[in-house]
Amino acid sequence: MYGRWILLFVLGVIAVLMASPLILTLFTSLKPTTELVNPAWYPPLSVTFEHYIRVWTDGGFSRYFFNTLLISVIDAVVMIVIASLAAYAMVFIDFRGKLALQILFLVGLMIPVTAIVLPLFQIVRSFGLLNTHFGVIVADLALAVSVFVFMFTSYFVGVPKALHEAARIDGATEFQIYRRVIMPIAMPAVVTTALLEFLWSWNDLLLRLLLLTQDEMRTLSVGLLNFQGTMTRDVTGLSSGTVIMAIPVVILFLFFQRHFVRGMTAGAVK
Amino acid sequence: MFLDPDSKWAHRLNPVLFLLPALTIYIVFAIYPTLSVIEYSFTSWDGISPEREYVGLANYTRLFTDKIFWEAFRNTFVWSGVIIVINVGLGLVIAAMLARVWKARLLIQTCIVLPVVISPMAVATIWRWMYQPSGVINQMLETIGLGGLATPWLGSPDVVLYALALAHSWSTIGLSVIIFLAGLQAVDEDLYEAAKVDGATPVQAFRYVTLPALRPVTAVVFILTLTQSFKVFDLVWATTKGGPIRFSEILSTYMYKRGALENQYGYGSAIGVSLLVIVSAATVIYMQIQNREDR
Repeated sequence: MYGRWILLFVLGVIAVLMASPLILTLFTSLKPTTELVNPAWYPPLSVTFEHYIRVWTDGGFSRYFFNTLLISVIDAVVMIVIASLAAYAMVFIDFRGKLALQILFLVGLMIPVTAIVLPLFQIVRSFGLLNTHFGVIVADLALAVSVFVFMFTSYFVGVPKALHEAARIDGATEFQIYRRVIMPIAMPAVVTTALLEFLWSWNDLLLRLLLLTQDEMRTLSVGLLNFQGTMTRDVTGLSSGTVIMAIPVVILFLFFQRHFVRGMTAGAVK
Repeated sequence: MFLDPDSKWAHRLNPVLFLLPALTIYIVFAIYPTLSVIEYSFTSWDGISPEREYVGLANYTRLFTDKIFWEAFRNTFVWSGVIIVINVGLGLVIAAMLARVWKARLLIQTCIVLPVVISPMAVATIWRWMYQPSGVINQMLETIGLGGLATPWLGSPDVVLYALALAHSWSTIGLSVIIFLAGLQAVDEDLYEAAKVDGATPVQAFRYVTLPALRPVTAVVFILTLTQSFKVFDLVWATTKGGPIRFSEILSTYMYKRGALENQYGYGSAIGVSLLVIVSAATVIYMQIQNREDR
């Protein structure tokens, strides 16, 4: 019977180890500069928000934050629309060339973004979209859309065909069926898509590093990278910036853990 | 959308209208660049001039003789290997332990999975700080009397790649644990009962019941970890940029340096293609295993 307790103890140690980098970062961000001489695992004796204020205003993180938020929200919303529309056609509408299209979308699951950033940069530039949020958004959408087309497809396949047939007989157009019948029951897929695309968009560095070179357009990832480059020794500022970047996704995760877990296992290929 | 649903036009147009937004963006910004990277790799393009000169396989022959490329290639495999050992090995052990615990399970699971959602850029900042010569890790080692092991983790040629792999594993192992947990839940309870009746110890049950049942899931986690670790750019770029010297140079950072920073688009693209080939091959295997599982 001791076995259970040993197991729980070992897991507890692992959990603490896993959580400690985040907790230590939070500690540091809240410490007055005078307390930095203490070991990093000392909690702040008096809590200060001065580093957050400094990073948020002088460090430009407020702008980075809202740029990131804008891109991520648009990414998530548009992804839900375009991926569900495409998946609807793949599942409920008969047309020629469906198999070819399926294979085309399948290819998208295999393309590592890292490998194609050089031509992607050229294409975004040739459309005049360099240094625009629009450019980043379309690139994000393109590189992840196949994951979500398959996610919606696998969800739609489980919807009884009779539901679609019945609506057709009542004289509804395909678009009406999509909006009024299918999408309302696809909410789990919608939530998963929104969370996952928001997360990927929020966290990405490489595309933003290439496509956004003007400071006022930058996102948190690029902002933090530059801050790290110029303010290498500003430990409190860096940890505040890290916490600012982490907090929204951590809150989302804590609220929607089940959805995240399901989505991450399904969308894991990307 | 206002078309009479039964008209011939509606039948023709519907699939087009539904697919058009996704397909347009996808073809222009994903498929086309993929074809382009292959085309670029046969040119000596600098990324700026209007003319591109086709040089045949010159970039690829250069790859074979480029010592730095092979270093990056080797580093990428070492890096992936370390991450696979941690994420598959430790991930399985953690999941197996977690599956036998009910108290505080959600709390423990949350702590393990939470780092998965943290941005690689934030992961880089956190670990760069912890790995500093005077950082937490070294402070800890001194406190517990192992000060001799203290080292500038990211500045030391022998250690840097492993130190970064550990940081990557910290932020990804949660995903392996989740997948293993799902696999464990699918293992038939009767098998454990039967093993118990036969007098098997928990370790024997793990060895002879759990492991064989989990073989397909293990394959999935293996390939998944492999492809994900090959694609990494953010974490390495934001910590060491491939340094010191080239001791943490991996394919993605080397490609970025040659292509984006030195304007050797043709050569950078050839490095990109090598990455593309390895990752796509691994993904195809991954999808085949998954397909077999679904059936």
